[in-house]
Amino acid sequence: MIGQQIFNGLTLGMAYALIAVGYSLVFGILRLVNFSHGSVYAFGAHAALLFVGMKLGIFPAILMSLIFTGVLGILIDKTALEPLRKKKSMPIASLITTIGISNIIQNMLTATFGSQKKAFPALFDFGVISVGKLQISWTQICMCIISLMLMLVLVLLVHKTKIGLAMRACEQNPKAASMMGINVNFIISFTFFLGGVSAAIAGALISGYYQIVYPNMGYMAGLKAFAAAVLGGIGSLPGALIGGLLVGVSESMAATFLGSTYRDCMAFIILIIVLIVRPNGLFGKKGITKV
Amino acid sequence: MKKMKKWVGLGLVLAMTAGFTGCTNNSATSSESTSDSTSTTKETESTQSSESTETIKIAVAAPMTGDTAEYGIGFTNAAQLMADEWNANGGVLGQQIEIVPYDDKNSSEEAATIAQKIVSEGDIVGVIGHFSSGVCLTAAPIYQQNQIIEISPSASHPDYSLVGDYIFRNNTVIKSEAAASIDIATQDLGKKNIGIISIKTDWGTNTSQVIKDLVEQLGSDVKVVAHEEVVEGSDDYSPAITKLNEAGADVVICAGMYNLVAPVAKQYKQINPDIQIVGFSNAYSQQLIELGGDSVEGVCFPVIFFSESQDEKIKTYVDAFTKAYGTAPSALSSQAYDSVGMLLTAIEQAGTTDSQQVRKFLADLGYDGVTGYTKFDENGDVQKDFIKVTIKDGTFVKMD
Repeated sequence: MIGQQIFNGLTLGMAYALIAVGYSLVFGILRLVNFSHGSVYAFGAHAALLFVGMKLGIFPAILMSLIFTGVLGILIDKTALEPLRKKKSMPIASLITTIGISNIIQNMLTATFGSQKKAFPALFDFGVISVGKLQISWTQICMCIISLMLMLVLVLLVHKTKIGLAMRACEQNPKAASMMGINVNFIISFTFFLGGVSAAIAGALISGYYQIVYPNMGYMAGLKAFAAAVLGGIGSLPGALIGGLLVGVSESMAATFLGSTYRDCMAFIILIIVLIVRPNGLFGKKGITKV
Repeated sequence: MKKMKKWVGLGLVLAMTAGFTGCTNNSATSSESTSDSTSTTKETESTQSSESTETIKIAVAAPMTGDTAEYGIGFTNAAQLMADEWNANGGVLGQQIEIVPYDDKNSSEEAATIAQKIVSEGDIVGVIGHFSSGVCLTAAPIYQQNQIIEISPSASHPDYSLVGDYIFRNNTVIKSEAAASIDIATQDLGKKNIGIISIKTDWGTNTSQVIKDLVEQLGSDVKVVAHEEVVEGSDDYSPAITKLNEAGADVVICAGMYNLVAPVAKQYKQINPDIQIVGFSNAYSQQLIELGGDSVEGVCFPVIFFSESQDEKIKTYVDAFTKAYGTAPSALSSQAYDSVGMLLTAIEQAGTTDSQQVRKFLADLGYDGVTGYTKFDENGDVQKDFIKVTIKDGTFVKMD
């Protein structure tokens, strides 16, 4: 049974990791915790539901939702965050703004789609395979594979491409980067686009797994993913993956041995313990103090 | 030290602001809803008074927004339908009947405010509601104290009707319903290893205990192999399902609403396609099929009211309801429909809207409605016959 529960936890953890990547991407560049990310994830799931309902076929529909949600990410940055950056407002202003945006998106979703839970078609529903006593559904396997692939693509993008080089330059010193001819605002928008796309992938995959979609779905998932990102070391992509898996497995274990009521607090208990022992998270770099 | 003081101070300020915003939020929303409903009632009053005398007001207090909104809206629609039928025949005591909806969001806090509001309103004869047992238990003492009749179409917690003699329910207590569910699991499906999955609310915990006690009384080789409590509204039930499956359950009794039964059915059937799932009457809702799709095929549960019934009276009612609101009525909506009918009949028999008089007649009333023959016992509870329903090819059908 423990094997099965660990596997359940790993699948859940992959879901958190997918969302956590979005937090890490934006934090890496802007040093800003983007609290609207949970709602963007819910938006991605609803967009996928909408396009799947239009009978475009599953993959074109998901592709459309990725682009849509990515554009939403850019929109958030351009309408709300870029003006704040231009005015050189305090970092806390941007933080509060993202919380506000989160509420706006969530309420818009409720207004358009209704607050009730809606059915989402099962993706990759090819049955179950048994490995020894373990029962693993194809949905779970596909979820893990796609998450890992996405993670790999993102890491390659950040570390091996030109735009990734520009992203890392902006991360280290935006001013110097812009002097070297990097369009910092474009890079930030691009990062928000990536964040939106990863949120939409997470939204489509997780909804396909649970087959449920509703406007509030991003709230708890977003918070736990944030905990996972901090746990792994916010700003670090492998950290997001490990953090997500840790949160997922510990949650599953808590539900097994302590009862379902303890599962939601588990992520945060672990987060606090890790932060006391290692303030920068498991994979976090020592913070560079910028004056 | 100084630094620490600063932090403590900051913490206190934060806590206070949080408290304040919390307060202002609450009072703002409640005063908003108050002013809203008063303005609407005033409007209707003025329009009514211009053509006839006063109206007789019946409140429907139930969730109109949120996850359980479907039930509250169903209650209101059903109550309105019954009121319209009476109004078409000249109303009651020569006055028109008016249904006043209140939204309790299925929250105890909200329900307490609404109960106070209904009491202070002064001209409301009776309350149809609230929806879930826990919420009913908060509101009922307020009605009892102020001698306002409350008929809940849905509460099934045994304590509810014990609150007082003004508190009635047009729903069976959970014990008889649980017995019917166990009967389906053991007799109709022929299973012996029962797993229970229940929501962690007052109702869910109590129901699962009732199931365990009843199974123990059965005494035969039927047993409860595992019981898992889950938090309502989480999406991932796989840890609980894994435990039930490992324990060797071949039938699972789901103590929860459609939003529990549908995801549990989906996630359970992914790891064990042969599992049988038995629910309760509060899962009987079109939403169950919409949310559950193929996975809820074969889910069974006992209900008091079945809309596909061939009975003439039920058919006309279902047709009228469908014509007015576009969907067939659910069991609980129909119980709300009958509740209004009973209250109005009692008012007619009493010849007054004085709640003491009406209560007396209501307690002695025998009412033949769409949910069967209803007579309250000394607690204000009812006994009803169950119809066993299952889902086949995407529709609800009677089990045979």
